[in-house]
Amino acid sequence: MKSNKIKNIVVCSLFGAILLVMFALCILMPKPEYSESERRKLAELLPLTYENVESGRWMTSFDSYSTDNFPFRDEFRTLKAIVSTGVFSRLDNNKIYVADGYAAAIEYPMRDENLVRAAERFRNVYNTFLSESNNVYVSIIPDKGAFLAKENGRLSMDYDAFEARMRELTSDFSEYVEISDLLSLEDYYKTDTHWRQEQITDVADRLLSAMGKSPTGEHKTNELDYGFHGVYYGQSAMPLPAETIYYLTNDALDGCRVCNGDKVSFGANGELMMPEMPMYDMELGHGKDPYEMYLGGSLSLVTVENPAVTDGSHLVLFRDSFGSAIAPLLCESYSKVTLVDIRYIQPMMLGRFIDFDGADVMFLYSTLVVNNSETLK
Amino acid sequence: MLFSSIPFLYYFLAITILLYIISPKKLKNSTLLLCSLFFYYWGERTYTIIMVVSILFGYVFGLLIERYRETKAKAPLTAVSVAISLSFLLYFKYADFFIENFNAVTGLSVPLLNVVLPIGISFYTFQIISYTIDVSRGERAQKNPINLGAYITMFPQLIAGPIVRYSDIDRELTTRTHTLDDTAAGIRRFVFGLGKKILIANQLGELVSAFRAASEPSVLWHWLYAIAFCLHIYFDFSGYSDMAIGLGRIFGFHFIENFNYPYISASITEFWRRWHISLGSWFRDYVYIPLGGNRCGKARQLFNIAVVWFLTGMWHGAAWNFIVWGLYFAVLLTIEKLWLLKYLKKSKVLSRIYVLLFVLISFVIFNASGMAEAGSDLLGLVGVGKSGMLPLVSAEAIYNLKSFAVVIILGIIGSTPLPKRLAEKFEKGEKTRVISNIAEPIVLVALFATMTAYLVDGSFNPFLYFRF
Repeated sequence: MKSNKIKNIVVCSLFGAILLVMFALCILMPKPEYSESERRKLAELLPLTYENVESGRWMTSFDSYSTDNFPFRDEFRTLKAIVSTGVFSRLDNNKIYVADGYAAAIEYPMRDENLVRAAERFRNVYNTFLSESNNVYVSIIPDKGAFLAKENGRLSMDYDAFEARMRELTSDFSEYVEISDLLSLEDYYKTDTHWRQEQITDVADRLLSAMGKSPTGEHKTNELDYGFHGVYYGQSAMPLPAETIYYLTNDALDGCRVCNGDKVSFGANGELMMPEMPMYDMELGHGKDPYEMYLGGSLSLVTVENPAVTDGSHLVLFRDSFGSAIAPLLCESYSKVTLVDIRYIQPMMLGRFIDFDGADVMFLYSTLVVNNSETLK
Repeated sequence: MLFSSIPFLYYFLAITILLYIISPKKLKNSTLLLCSLFFYYWGERTYTIIMVVSILFGYVFGLLIERYRETKAKAPLTAVSVAISLSFLLYFKYADFFIENFNAVTGLSVPLLNVVLPIGISFYTFQIISYTIDVSRGERAQKNPINLGAYITMFPQLIAGPIVRYSDIDRELTTRTHTLDDTAAGIRRFVFGLGKKILIANQLGELVSAFRAASEPSVLWHWLYAIAFCLHIYFDFSGYSDMAIGLGRIFGFHFIENFNYPYISASITEFWRRWHISLGSWFRDYVYIPLGGNRCGKARQLFNIAVVWFLTGMWHGAAWNFIVWGLYFAVLLTIEKLWLLKYLKKSKVLSRIYVLLFVLISFVIFNASGMAEAGSDLLGLVGVGKSGMLPLVSAEAIYNLKSFAVVIILGIIGSTPLPKRLAEKFEKGEKTRVISNIAEPIVLVALFATMTAYLVDGSFNPFLYFRF
């Protein structure tokens, strides 16, 4: 009986202490505005006004705010991930799984309607701006799951069927360039969705060859002096080590002039004016998403002019974020490359900024974007 | 406000317990009432007034019924009181259902009222009705409106039960004691209930949602869904009841048990003695027995059963699948009463398989969005799909079976008395009791930390019974 009494005292004291200490910490601990690991702005508390209370908005905001700003949030999320996968043997945590040291998202099933939509978006660009004088290419970048999911018992799309379907849907206006056979798991970052620039020179050569251009030259491999935790690091909440970002340079790339089309303005005579930007932005490399160092990351319009190629060749590359890392390598064989991301710009506006006359055009998209093509405009 | 949420655990509960402890004995019910009203207002601003008005009606009619209990006015007063309480429920819960069906039958287009269902109205309405009927049957009326208000609105049981009878806690409202044993037992019950909800029910809820979003139907997927939902609803609702009972005990109240391992039942009759006990006993005492119960002819008994189960189905929701669900049990209970019960006693294994199978079918009907979906879900169990026969397995089904296998196994074990018996055995042994005494606080803290981690990660977290 005595031992029961002691146990009950311990149980009551611990429960009371946990509630009160955590309550005090909830009130007193500093509230960060941004979660580095999750790469998102944390919920803010709405002002305590009659309107906000009566409408329930304040309560809703408090729910999100108190959860987002809970003390030791990252540690608790890691604990949840470990319990979920370790104790309950769940195969994924919030649709993210870690296998062979690589974190990836479950991308399943193949959504045919989205493939059709993506092909229609591409065809829309072709019908609006292009003609038979343009050489048009389509290429699909398989996501990491193509090399990781099936082998590790996760749901996996039929990537061959995916490519075949996209080839079929776009064959009337473009030539399909296959690159999946050149890729393997090691070509991707362990904690991020993206591929590694230093690993994809063969892919760039295959694309250039298909477009009748000479392959890329020799490169110097440079290391970013900043640990890289990719997007899956925060989403999985698993304790994964930081990686190193590498970027390639050579004389031709060093001599390129890169301009940011998102900050476009018009001169006195109506000429387009775009501010210059670095090809590899070290500031962004040390920022929230270091992968944005490649050509500024998620920009709708970027131009790269290469004075080393003087034949006036022009490549218009419709791309997603994977394209940012490979575009510098493609620049080596063109006088000019224009990168367009139609997730962020209406294609109808492109005629104002891009001269498509005689240009090679490539639609280079990852399976992640094509399979979720609601984002394409 | 959900029990399984950061605002409840680390703000509301912490402050409420603190206020309750520092309140003088005389003000403890007032503190509970105010905290409970705040708790309700947090999630149901517009209709808090409806609940307050319902309680005031209950209070006034309780006094009137007691005063005129020995006169002819007792029956009409009780009837008016019940009618007023039911009118709120009928309007908010069933008005649009009646209009929809009226339109369907007559071909008219009476516009829907689009009334939003106030949270917990089914529970507090039944408590108020039980209070006034109990007073008419001889219980003393509560003179202090704060005490009555504290009873009806008490946040642990306000929005999802158990349906606590006034007569069960009448004495505790005024003279309850707070003991170390009760508080520790309450904490233990609350934490385990929270664990059932967050660690088992929510994960199974993810599986149920995955089934609804699935692109590859198969027979295995349909069975996986049906089993997952049976476990999900049990852990969700019994977990909530455990939390309610635990919180009640922390505040000195002893609520009625609501679940008693229903999935080990050997008949549907037994199942309903073990599932949502407070609702079953409410219908027994306030509908079935007043209709004549078992003390009448066979035909009348069967009619009484049909009425009770029609109403039980209706109570769960204003939709035909709930009514069919209720009547389905009426049919099963009638068959058992007339014939089957004696055969079920012959084989425990077969009788349990029978119960599990028919309960599983019932919950497939229960969880459907309508009768069409219920039909399609049931047909899926036997391999009939919307466009022909379904494959036996699909990649999605196998993946989810593998991913949720441990949760399902834990759910199956946890829905039997095995863990409780093991814990009791552990407590009884002299050596093991020492280990148990040391391990229990550690397990509770570890569970609480893990559940907090799940909440912080913002996983799937709806309470099923909030919609009733």
